[in-house]
This record gives sequence, C-alpha cells and structure tokens, in this order.
Amino acid sequence: MTDHLLIETGGPQTGPACERFVGDAVRLAGDGHRVVLFLVENGVTAALPGASPAVETLLRDGGELWVDTFSAAQRALPAADLLPACRMVEMDEVAAELLEPRVRAVWH
Amino acid sequence: MPRPVPPTDVLLNLHGAPHQTDLVTSALRLATALLDRGARVQIWVCGDATRLTGAALGDTTPRDLSDPGREHPSVARVIRDLITDHPDRLYWYVCRFCADQRGAAEQIPEVRKRSLFVYAEHVRAAGKTLFMGVC
Repeated sequence: MTDHLLIETGGPQTGPACERFVGDAVRLAGDGHRVVLFLVENGVTAALPGASPAVETLLRDGGELWVDTFSAAQRALPAADLLPACRMVEMDEVAAELLEPRVRAVWH
Repeated sequence: MPRPVPPTDVLLNLHGAPHQTDLVTSALRLATALLDRGARVQIWVCGDATRLTGAALGDTTPRDLSDPGREHPSVARVIRDLITDHPDRLYWYVCRFCADQRGAAEQIPEVRKRSLFVYAEHVRAAGKTLFMGVC
C-alpha cells in the first residue's frame, strides 16, 4: 500500500474539480491506502461543515484531513468553524510528509 | 555540453501565472519548510512564473505611498536571498524559452536558465516531483 498526500488549493467554489479531486482521495482510501488531504489557499474552505460532501466521506472512510493554519487565518477561519475531525498543520508538517519515501504527492 | 543536474530530494514546478493566486506564497513556504528540514530542493519555472526572478524587478517593490519611508523586498530579492542562504541545497531554474518569449531574458544571476529540452534530466535528478500550478 502506498501513502498519498493530496493537496487541494481551490476549494468547492472553484467548481466541480475540487469535488472530483477529493473523490480520488476517497477512492484511494477505499482501496486501503493511507490518504492525507491537505487543504491550503482557498482550498481550506472545503473544511467548512457542509461545504464538501466528498471531504466528509473521506473522513468517514478513514482519510486524514489537514488544514493549513496560515491559509485559514488569512481567510478569518478559526479552527472552531471547521470540521472537528480536521487537523490544523503548519507547512513544516507537510514538508515532513512530502519527504517520506513511501508518500506520493499530488498538488491540485 | 550541458551541465549535470545536482540531485535533489524534491523538484517543485511553477507553471502558472504567479500572482493570480497564492501560488508563489505557497511555493516559497513549502520550499523554506523543506530546506529547514535539511532537504535539497530544485524549483523549475515556466510561463509567466519566469518573471519572478527578472532582473528588472530590482531589490525593492515600488514605494508604498501610504508608508513612503518603508521598503519592501521584491519577489526577486526574496528568491535571491533564499538561494544565497542555502548554497548547494536550493537551485532555481528558469525556462529559457518562456523567459525570452516574455521579454524576461535578463534574470538575477543566482538563477540558471535552462532549455526545456533538458527538463527530463531535472525530473530524473529529483526524488519527487510536484507540479504546483498550470496555466
């Protein structure tokens, strides 16, 4: 099994591409892979409750949801307003994940 | 004879328009985080992103009229400082064709202009490749 780091920058308001990308994360998690979905830039809005059905499916299927602290703060989104299962992270943690040999990463 | 590409842990690709989104901020934050962890990083820019290191940008941004006594570094200077702070660990490559096409042939001396025809060598020299934005 391969670990995957999927990075979403656009969020639901950019159209169906975000939901399709998160759908890929759902399918990977469903196949038994460890999946981290990292939301950054406008992508952090996908962590708002009800904003992205696919994100909530991913969490139900065992995927991890990471939200960029800096991007959320820039958009005045406190952690309390986001899905309780998400984890606020700094870019350092993303770098560490990216440098893990077993991890494949995709930026969207 | 083309110069060999130094091996790196990660290759970050910026192919998008640099100031349309937070792309440059994210790329520089990620590059800095990787460097702080001791990684070796190369960044390849194509398209309008080649303007980020244009020599014409100078060291500072145009003066802020609401705060005229304060200087802000240009993005070219930010990148130059990042490169000089991490010798032999950060390499910034500019697509020669894209830069020439946009009148940005004059680049800061810290970056290297390369032909797109050698791009595959850069991918081969990197442990991982991440495309961060496409026009």
